[in-house]
Amino acid sequence: MNERHIYDMIVIGGGPGGYTAAMYAARAGLDVLVLEKLSAGGQMALSEAIDNYPGFEEGIDGFTLAEKMQRQAERFGAKTAYAQARRAALSGAVKTLETDAGTFYARTVALATGANPKPLGIAGETALVGRGVAYCAACDGMRYRGKTVAVVGGGNSAAADALLLSRIAAQVILVHRRDALRATKVYHEPLMQAKNVSFRWNSVVTELLHDGHVTGVRLKDTATGEESELPCDAVFVSIGREPATALVRDQLALDAAGYVIADETTQTNLPGVYAVGDVRAKPLHQVVTAVSDGAVAVQMAEAYLASLTDGGRTAKI
Amino acid sequence: MAAMEMNREQFERMTQGDKPVLVDFWAPWCGYCRRIGPAFERIAEAYADRLTAAKVNIDEEAQLAEAERIEVIPTLMLYRNGKVVDSIVAPESQAAIDRFIRDALAG
Repeated sequence: MNERHIYDMIVIGGGPGGYTAAMYAARAGLDVLVLEKLSAGGQMALSEAIDNYPGFEEGIDGFTLAEKMQRQAERFGAKTAYAQARRAALSGAVKTLETDAGTFYARTVALATGANPKPLGIAGETALVGRGVAYCAACDGMRYRGKTVAVVGGGNSAAADALLLSRIAAQVILVHRRDALRATKVYHEPLMQAKNVSFRWNSVVTELLHDGHVTGVRLKDTATGEESELPCDAVFVSIGREPATALVRDQLALDAAGYVIADETTQTNLPGVYAVGDVRAKPLHQVVTAVSDGAVAVQMAEAYLASLTDGGRTAKI
Repeated sequence: MAAMEMNREQFERMTQGDKPVLVDFWAPWCGYCRRIGPAFERIAEAYADRLTAAKVNIDEEAQLAEAERIEVIPTLMLYRNGKVVDSIVAPESQAAIDRFIRDALAG
């Protein structure tokens, strides 16, 4: 299925940033297509409750919010192709996207591929997701009220997760491979003072113990090599995120952590290509900042298209 | 036609037949199962003439899930003539589900 049609904008990724870009583009009269590999929502769709997205005073689950955003964009004429982009050529006047459902063309591209939590990379991890292995304390923490949980990591997100979980779980054990936190000082004091938070320094998780659900972890002391078992009901993996930039690695400027370098205008180093949502390097990755990027990207894309001869419509594939 | 929710009795009757049956083992608490849901429905529609698509809630059909050795969800299993043709765990995209079905039906 090769479509020779040239869209005004193709949005790669159907998360909140992507569908907001699609909604703004469609409302601006642009011919816009979203490429989504599975279903709307991205990381947000896995969140059981989003309590910090304004307008939903009782909170809303991420999957439902994603469907609402998709329907809202589609109400104004945005289309979705359920396809995963495999290769992208973004430097020309017409951008080419090869997917597992054919090749698509567009004058502008909003890259909204998001980010994914980094896995521990140990045996059985994927199989135990939802059964004691979790990557989002704010999403899945409530399930472990009164239980014992381990948090793996030593950065800001691990410290924030441990603090949040300390208010829900009975016991929180922070497992870190170094002998001190990398987290900002503001987290240290409350963590050290929390009565139900303890620390396992110089420790790495070598095995997930389970009976179909996590029952504990095996830890190895990085200094002595000594192994021990730590019983727990869940393991929250908080060792950072990886932006989904494999598609554009050779074309867009990325920072050291792999995020696309673009300022608040979302403009990348390539004309007509915008970085939207979690894939963009920025201080706060949230649904509310992703949707903001989506709106801004369309504003920039409109200005870019207007600057081209005949709005770019004379450009050839 | 939307994928039907299947109980154990329906499962045992339908998977015996010639027409392949694609079963999505899922549970309401499984976030990724929900994400697969819309893609599974689109696949069910696209393959409506070649297979029956159904869903089994493993919380409600715990015995069936155990009998089928479902340890991880979402798991998609394709059955024909009372046998498992193939299975896939947590497919990453709609295309991955599509590929799984095409390979399984061809094999």
